Amino acid sequence: MAAGPLSGVRLLDLTDERAIYGAKLLADLGADVVRPEPPEGDALRKRGPHHAQNGESLWFAYFGSSRRFLRTDVNNASEVAQLQQLLERADIVITCDGGFAVDLLDVQGARQHRPGLVHIAVSSFGDSGPWKDFQAPDLIAGALGGAVAATGVPETTPLKTFGELNFMVSGTYAAIAALSALYYARATGEGQRVSVPVHECITSCLEQVLMMSWYGEKMGRGRILPRQGGTHWSMAFTVMPAKSGAIMTTPMPDFDAQLAWLVEEDAHQDLLEEKYHDPANLPMYIGRMMQVMREWVAGQDPEELFLKAQERHAPYGWVLPIERLADNPQLAAREWFVPFQVGDTTLQGPGAPFRFSETPWQYRPPEAITADMVVSELGWETSR
Amino acid sequence: MTRPLEGVRILDFTHVLAGPYATRILADMGADVVKVNSVERVTTNSPDSPYYIMWNRNKRALSLDMRNTQGRALCRRLCDSADVMIENFAVGVLDRWGIGYRNVSATNNKVVYVQMSGMGSGGPWSSYVTYAPTIHAISGLTLLTSVPGREDIGIGYSYNDHQAGLHAAFAILAALEARRHTGRGQQIDLSQFEVGVNFLGPSLLDWFANQRAARPVGNRLPYDAAAPHGVYPCVAQGQGIVGERWIAIACRTDQQWRALRGVMGDPEWARDVALEAATGRVAAIDVLDAKIAEWTSTQSASDLMMRCQAAGVPAGAVQDGVDLTERDPQHQASGFFSPIDEAGSPLGQTFADHLPIHFEKTPCEQYQRSRTLGEDNVGVLRDWLGMTEADVRRGEDVGVLR
Repeated sequence: MAAGPLSGVRLLDLTDERAIYGAKLLADLGADVVRPEPPEGDALRKRGPHHAQNGESLWFAYFGSSRRFLRTDVNNASEVAQLQQLLERADIVITCDGGFAVDLLDVQGARQHRPGLVHIAVSSFGDSGPWKDFQAPDLIAGALGGAVAATGVPETTPLKTFGELNFMVSGTYAAIAALSALYYARATGEGQRVSVPVHECITSCLEQVLMMSWYGEKMGRGRILPRQGGTHWSMAFTVMPAKSGAIMTTPMPDFDAQLAWLVEEDAHQDLLEEKYHDPANLPMYIGRMMQVMREWVAGQDPEELFLKAQERHAPYGWVLPIERLADNPQLAAREWFVPFQVGDTTLQGPGAPFRFSETPWQYRPPEAITADMVVSELGWETSR
Repeated sequence: MTRPLEGVRILDFTHVLAGPYATRILADMGADVVKVNSVERVTTNSPDSPYYIMWNRNKRALSLDMRNTQGRALCRRLCDSADVMIENFAVGVLDRWGIGYRNVSATNNKVVYVQMSGMGSGGPWSSYVTYAPTIHAISGLTLLTSVPGREDIGIGYSYNDHQAGLHAAFAILAALEARRHTGRGQQIDLSQFEVGVNFLGPSLLDWFANQRAARPVGNRLPYDAAAPHGVYPCVAQGQGIVGERWIAIACRTDQQWRALRGVMGDPEWARDVALEAATGRVAAIDVLDAKIAEWTSTQSASDLMMRCQAAGVPAGAVQDGVDLTERDPQHQASGFFSPIDEAGSPLGQTFADHLPIHFEKTPCEQYQRSRTLGEDNVGVLRDWLGMTEADVRRGEDVGVLR
């Protein structure tokens, strides 16, 4: 198989939960990513879920894909020195403040040897400011960043997104920062330090939230929208309970086609009345349309309705549980799942988020290495 | 070079959010992003709309009539000058315009060509129409971002659109790095569905390893013993749901729990030895949450956050959009938002949230307003194709350009 697009890029991964996804993105595209861990094992190997048989962390198997793991005793001066040598041969180092071994390494010093070294410094709140030292795991980062307030329904508290979704945003931003700074280093020979604050990453990915704060009144909507569950801020997309489970329905992008469908099924109620078709009454029309659709959807099988809708080019979405992703026909046809090595077993696991025609994404199983091996056998001693 | 991606030429055929967000990031970092509006698309995404303004700053605007043979020919020439092309049209539209990957790469083999479709190329669902709420639903994100027993909540904003954009920007940069070695560009097939499903990686592995199907857990952690780990009510600061104030508290260690006890004034109920270890607190989590909520409901969210953080308890006020843009002291200190110089936007003053990437040597601090249809026809065609202003104006007069 051809090498990935980042084949030959050397990267030291000193991330924690806030950016490990970024190191994964880079590693799965072929970068040679070395992740040091203490003799007792990476703290993130404790994250669940775990494999019931062999006890391995499935969380870590996913986020730690395609890495070489380097056991490093931070109390052993020669091992720390070896780590520093690796740093001096790397193209990129990604750190999270407070992460393993971060404070022991001298990035500025390494740049004397390797001027092109790129340092991506991920932190919760950046290098300064009143909240600089706040502790912010994913829930807190999401609360302060604005994601939590926008999610949930009036009957629930504001809600966190499932899993590590906030940190997957900061992780992706870290990976983008790394390759942008690498692009500049390739052109000029100059590396640099790049700060990526998680707080800013989250705030920049909130779709309508900032827009409403700035322009909501001019849009006739108010500056803060109440949390409204599966209803999109435009009010034109809503998750509705169906006969079993739920389905996301919408009259977008063609209201007339949706109306025609309801008429076909004799489920349109009063939607043909003239008042709904005056452009000035569009919000009222959308509201009524969603109400009528809710009643129509309630008695239907969500899978059948989803397939029928998509045949009509209506962008409905069946609310799928994870077990239906495992046997999903689209993922199967694209051979999306790939074998993952988890301890002594091989499992089906998540595949590529994108496909490169010439230099493919590739999952590589974890590998334990020593610092000597990196320098002597893996070619880090030679300059690229 | 003052910004890292200066000199990279990007032809942007994307619309709505996912694609424009990808190119916004690249434009912020100095790439010359030319947003091509075909006259066919004008009504769906007006440059005056707040939504368009949010995602299209720092780009140049070119308006071509792609129904017109000369318009398509001009576009074809631009494709030969592009480092990157990116689109999220329905399958086949760019092929019909004669600018599909096969056609363009025949004369420009350096082009990185990104197709951001809903479902990817090929497969029984490949022609399905999707928006972010569709992708959230079918990728499992809607079902899992919820409370037990409900399947109709999901994420309250188009998370996956942002992420599809971020992944596209990342993929483009990776392909440019590959091109440095191979001398050739390539095609990138980005399925927004696969981006979304990928985020549930650990849960998918859990299914395949243990046949355990993930289900929503509200604000708790799905797999790790951490308690309290939730969002709790504080004293309201306004009317109705938008006036509610909340605080998130996440104790992931016993030490953090002990610190929280201290902030609470060490109430008797919290001294129960059963609560000393995380497993005990998780076993009693409903009672724990109720007690904490009773206490927080008498507190100010921002004051309580400060006291918790000072004591070593991870806690954060739940911030809404106005909190972020007007009160967040961290965003204020970093200058995360700024007004944009406007030329008569119907919205009045517009604003930018900054690129959350701070380069030491190549700072990206330029935020130019989004442009109106065809506003940069002259500049783009001069810079990319060497055309004169007179040539461009002639094109506009005959309707090739708008």
